[in-house]
Amino acid sequence: MKLRTFRYFFREAWRGLVRNRLMSLTAMGTITIALMLFGVFCLFTTNLQYFSNLALGRIEIRAFLSESARNYELLKAEIQAIPGVQRVKFISKEEGARWLEKALGNKGLFLGGENPLPNSINVYPARGANVENIARQVQRVAGVDEVVYGREFVRLLHIIVRLIWVIGFGLLFLVMLAVLYIVVNTIQMTIYARRKEIEIMKLVGATDWFIRWPFMLEGIMLGLGGALIAVIIVLEAYAFLNNRLGQVSTVLSLLTRAEITPYVIGGFFGIGIFFGALGSLLSVKRYLSI
Amino acid sequence: MIQARRLTKKYGNGVLALENLSLHIEKGEFVFLVGPSGAGKSTFLNLVIRREIPTDGFLSVAGRNVTLIKKQEIPLFRRRIGYIFQDYKLFPNKTVGENVSFALEVIEVDPMEIRDRVNFVLDLVGLIHKTEVFPSELSGGEQQRVSLARAIVNRPLLLLADEPTGNLDPDTSWEIMELLREINRRGTTIVMATHNREIVDRMQKRVIALEKGRLVRDERKGGYAVEA
Repeated sequence: MKLRTFRYFFREAWRGLVRNRLMSLTAMGTITIALMLFGVFCLFTTNLQYFSNLALGRIEIRAFLSESARNYELLKAEIQAIPGVQRVKFISKEEGARWLEKALGNKGLFLGGENPLPNSINVYPARGANVENIARQVQRVAGVDEVVYGREFVRLLHIIVRLIWVIGFGLLFLVMLAVLYIVVNTIQMTIYARRKEIEIMKLVGATDWFIRWPFMLEGIMLGLGGALIAVIIVLEAYAFLNNRLGQVSTVLSLLTRAEITPYVIGGFFGIGIFFGALGSLLSVKRYLSI
Repeated sequence: MIQARRLTKKYGNGVLALENLSLHIEKGEFVFLVGPSGAGKSTFLNLVIRREIPTDGFLSVAGRNVTLIKKQEIPLFRRRIGYIFQDYKLFPNKTVGENVSFALEVIEVDPMEIRDRVNFVLDLVGLIHKTEVFPSELSGGEQQRVSLARAIVNRPLLLLADEPTGNLDPDTSWEIMELLREINRRGTTIVMATHNREIVDRMQKRVIALEKGRLVRDERKGGYAVEA
């Protein structure tokens, strides 16, 4: 294709945008809103995932040993061998007592009496490892009496993350359909205004792609414009919120803006271009069958 | 140039627009297509340019079996055929020059060649001095001359004209006919659908008359109607 022809395509696309200013702005705004919804959703779920991974990484499994268990080194080795276990630590009943006293702020809790705590081994799962699975296997080790970990918390976190993905994607699908619908309508306004032109182009022997390109470009420009606005708003808002959250809580840490920026830009522009191009291809189709 | 055998076109709504039409148009001929409205003249032209596909029968245009032309081959096929209409179909927001060069731009001819060819055809139709003018500032006859220039700038083998004088007064109509005769003399085959009795009678060219989709008359040098 010749450069001159491409310039012609750009000129025509730009003319279409300007001629239907109002509709173009509407379409662009819709793309922006849809991308923002999409972005908020994705950022929320990835951060939730990130947070839950962090939380899961900090979870420790505590294996209480039976009175009869004596060979602690062997037990430690056995537990360490379970896949997903990063590290194990033996806690004697005395250490356990000291820790408990400290945690409860009550010195001399067990003074004079017998120390009722069993010996225990702390198991630290590797990041991203399946905590429930590890706990089950630790339970099966001979000499382990009882296994304690934040089971309910882990389960809940898993369920929440999964639920949000499912519901979110359902909603997103609907939003994307709406975007497509509006882009198709916008482009169709341009095409309607130029249907006679298309007819003549067909009659003098223009190829379908020659006719399609300007409309495609128009749709892509709509997508790019909408994406640009969405990228700016989402990144700024995210930085602002992240900053605020940092002031309020040190426990809740989110991904930084720098970490998400390439994904937001890539994703938004990609989706914007895709929907713009698809929308215009769908709307030109009907007018090409002359 | 055009060869039709038992050509039939039936539309989805059951209307039989053409029925068993057989005819042969030689290269370089000038042919009038006459008949009342709804006789099938436009349908025939639409089949020739492959806007419609025959329901039955055979139609070959410029050596190609129209039914067998693939969708992606249509543009190339149409570049060899010019077409003018009763309502000119010019772009109101393009100048005369741009209207004509448009036909070359869409097929990506070089700019230098575009300029030469546009000047040549505008000179031929006598509108070279109006290159920068917009169609709304032209008379009907001038607009039709622009559309004629656009149709021939591509040097078509075949020129189809659908009622080209339908909106024009008699004098202006003759100007257009003179141009068509000139274009024909230079070798382009012309098929013109018309209701204009006077033009057909005076030109004394081949006349093909259709009625209700059937061929009712085909005369070498005929008039609009058979003498009573």
